[in-house]
Amino acid sequence: MLRILHDTNYDFIRWWKVMAAITIAFIVLGLGSLAIKPPNYSIEFTGGTLLQLEFAQPPDVGVIRSTLDQAGIHGAEIQQFGTNREFTVRAQDPREVAAQSKGAESIAVTIGKVLKQKFGENALKVVRTEGVGPRVGQELRRGAIIAILLSFLITLVYLSIRFEWRFAAAAVIATSHDVFTTIAFLKLMHLEISLTVVAGILTVLGYSLNDTIIIFDRVRENLRKGRKETLYETLNRSINETLPRSVLTHATVLAATLSLLIFAGEVIRPFAWVMAFGVVTGTFSSIYVAAPVLLWIERKWPRSTGARQSSSTATPTSRTRRSPATATR
Amino acid sequence: MNLKYRIAIILGLIAASIWTLFPRTVVERVTRNGQVVYDTVRRVPLKRGLDLQGGMHLALEVDESKGPVPDKSKAIDNALKVVRNRIDEFGVSEPVVQKAGNDRIIVELPGIDDPQRAQDVVQKAAFLEFQITDKTQALEKALPRLDAVLKDAKVTVAVAASGAKKDTTSAGLQSLFTADTSKKADSAKTDSAAAAAGTAGGPGAFSKLVQQGGMPGEYYVAQSDVGLMTQYLAMPQVQAALPPAKVIRWSSDTVSLGNRVYRPLYVLDAKPIITGEFLTDAKPNTSPTEGNLVQFTMNNEGARRFRTETSRHIKDFMAIVLDQRVMGRPPVIQSAIGANGQITMGGKDLQAAQDLALVLRAGSLPVPLKVVDWRQIGASLGQDSIHKSITAGAIAVALVVFIMLFYYRFSGALAVAALVLYILYTLAALAGFQAVLTLPGLAGFVLSIGIAVDANVLIFERIREELAHGKTVRTAIDEGFRHAMSAIVDSNVSTALTAAVLYQYGTGPVRGFAVTLLAGIAASMITSIFVVRTFFMIWLNRSRDVQTSLSI
Repeated sequence: MLRILHDTNYDFIRWWKVMAAITIAFIVLGLGSLAIKPPNYSIEFTGGTLLQLEFAQPPDVGVIRSTLDQAGIHGAEIQQFGTNREFTVRAQDPREVAAQSKGAESIAVTIGKVLKQKFGENALKVVRTEGVGPRVGQELRRGAIIAILLSFLITLVYLSIRFEWRFAAAAVIATSHDVFTTIAFLKLMHLEISLTVVAGILTVLGYSLNDTIIIFDRVRENLRKGRKETLYETLNRSINETLPRSVLTHATVLAATLSLLIFAGEVIRPFAWVMAFGVVTGTFSSIYVAAPVLLWIERKWPRSTGARQSSSTATPTSRTRRSPATATR
Repeated sequence: MNLKYRIAIILGLIAASIWTLFPRTVVERVTRNGQVVYDTVRRVPLKRGLDLQGGMHLALEVDESKGPVPDKSKAIDNALKVVRNRIDEFGVSEPVVQKAGNDRIIVELPGIDDPQRAQDVVQKAAFLEFQITDKTQALEKALPRLDAVLKDAKVTVAVAASGAKKDTTSAGLQSLFTADTSKKADSAKTDSAAAAAGTAGGPGAFSKLVQQGGMPGEYYVAQSDVGLMTQYLAMPQVQAALPPAKVIRWSSDTVSLGNRVYRPLYVLDAKPIITGEFLTDAKPNTSPTEGNLVQFTMNNEGARRFRTETSRHIKDFMAIVLDQRVMGRPPVIQSAIGANGQITMGGKDLQAAQDLALVLRAGSLPVPLKVVDWRQIGASLGQDSIHKSITAGAIAVALVVFIMLFYYRFSGALAVAALVLYILYTLAALAGFQAVLTLPGLAGFVLSIGIAVDANVLIFERIREELAHGKTVRTAIDEGFRHAMSAIVDSNVSTALTAAVLYQYGTGPVRGFAVTLLAGIAASMITSIFVVRTFFMIWLNRSRDVQTSLSI
């Protein structure tokens, strides 16, 4: 039997202050840079026109830009997309967005036409065009936020029924932490926020929640056993007991994520990045956000006596958790 | 549950899945030797989204820029029927035309390679009117008034702007002239705002732009002045000064006189003698003298009215106005016209005639529609995405299989067998529910392969713990499954709830992702709990001897 991290007894929670500092620094860094420069939204959210071009030969980006400028399409964003023969052109000029509702298809047509005039009819192919009106973009942005908030609410209710409100609240707070770290990650990696990335964020939330639930399920079980130990100890024990499972599952998920990242192509890459980061932040938050928050909630709103045999008396002593000696088995 | 029943259920599910996924014959658009043709092909009945098979997605809304529409929802319902008729006639396999929300129409056209044409067909109002040209010289009488209005208004007119219009590329001109009048007015206005040029509203500002044409009510405007003229006509003061009960319409064609190009402008009686509502049929044709044209037929009611009206207007000129644009030169009415007539297409090609016939047959749009969102994806890109996703999926499976076999040995092999069934069941569920497979959906599926084994990992770790507590193999397996259950159920249900929210609030590709996720969760619960349990039971029952050790 091959065993990894079996029967461990690490005092994970002991390091929560250090971890909190690290994650807060990361979030502040990410959100701070958001304040300086807005995030890179895809045209689905901003409205605008996008063309994906496939050239026969690697073109000179400067020539593309000057050709578009001459055609009166200013401020278009030209980006390499995968290989050096593939590019996306994004026209997001607010005037063009406004004009779009009246027929921005002509912008896409014009871009295709002038580039074919410049490079030759067969030198490039327009493989994808997208156009989004400003109102649709607004709706989608609202929809994404509603979706995230609604999934929180539903989770809160479900976990309150299956566990109890303290666990539910801790799980949701841990998951919200992941929203912030993921947004910070997107910003720091200069990834484009598209609908697919939003779907990725929601998947990360689901995954992180999974992970938290697995640990909390252990906590629930260990509490039922009524050991004479503090919640702090129970949490640590539960994290240690689920450690082999965590390692294995994260390994298989990461394997799938990495093959997406490497092989699935440019369109899926941002999604795969989000997922890869999600595995990290989901694991982190289950241990270093969910557990300390649960401890904090227990201290603030202790269970009434009798609801649990040992924990109501044990909870106050969890204040002493800085001493490593408390975590024993 | 009896082991036999368990095996029967699993085999039944496998049979059902294979049957669901068995390739069947479908009619499809395929590209052969560069030509798009319909053909029967055998393929796995998984619906591919537009991003995987290539095609076009359009979202349309009521265009209220020309005045509010009172009951938008009803207007959209009516427009939906017309759009659906048109798309049906357009000839796309498996098109989607549906209402989204209260005020939006979604059109999905798989395999469309000419998005502009598709959009024109969908969006064209196709409002046909027959109007008699003005015989009273109403515009001439109004000219002094119009000139005075322009002088008073002291309009800052961009002479330079109208000049610049002339010099834009042919693409620019094309779009300018195919756009309807209000669009042109807007673009001209923007131009005048951009180029702050000198005043041109001097004496005779209006009259110097127009000259008498070849028939009553016809005027010629030099091609270079069209922008400026459109701008004048859009001004409220000018509109107030125009002759009453008349309308002014541009021609869809240009005429050349000497070496100058003119665009005719028509003054028409505002009340049409008849509209296109009585049309029963329209078909394209080519005549040696008039080029491409569309012949139409009216119903009895329409024919009767048409005859009465035209007999009253013998020797008058009748303009055929389509979407506020005069098609061809208005013909003179020689005698009463009955049920049949024709629209000449000017210099346009046969395809334009075909498309016009199509939209006339399908009926006019009750309200103008604007495109709020569109996507067009080439078929090759979709094919490429499928290949890449399959590669990624295969490698993900290989890695997961390796990890499971390496770590759990024999039990890992059971989990891998269950994973194969997981893939089969999930695809079958997607095919069975006719879910649309999108690129994010495929990515979600690849990801779910990594997540699907989680339940087995949980169970196996539990079994290991039970074994470590000195339980017998049989008890350890039973206890392992039992203890892992609450964690598996809770985590899967909460993920399923998140996926349901995604489905509710997502659109297009994201919805496809949510569907894949949901199908994956269901299949993973079945395989990792039920199937793997059955495998263990088979293994335990293999011999009468008690299994003393388990490779896990």
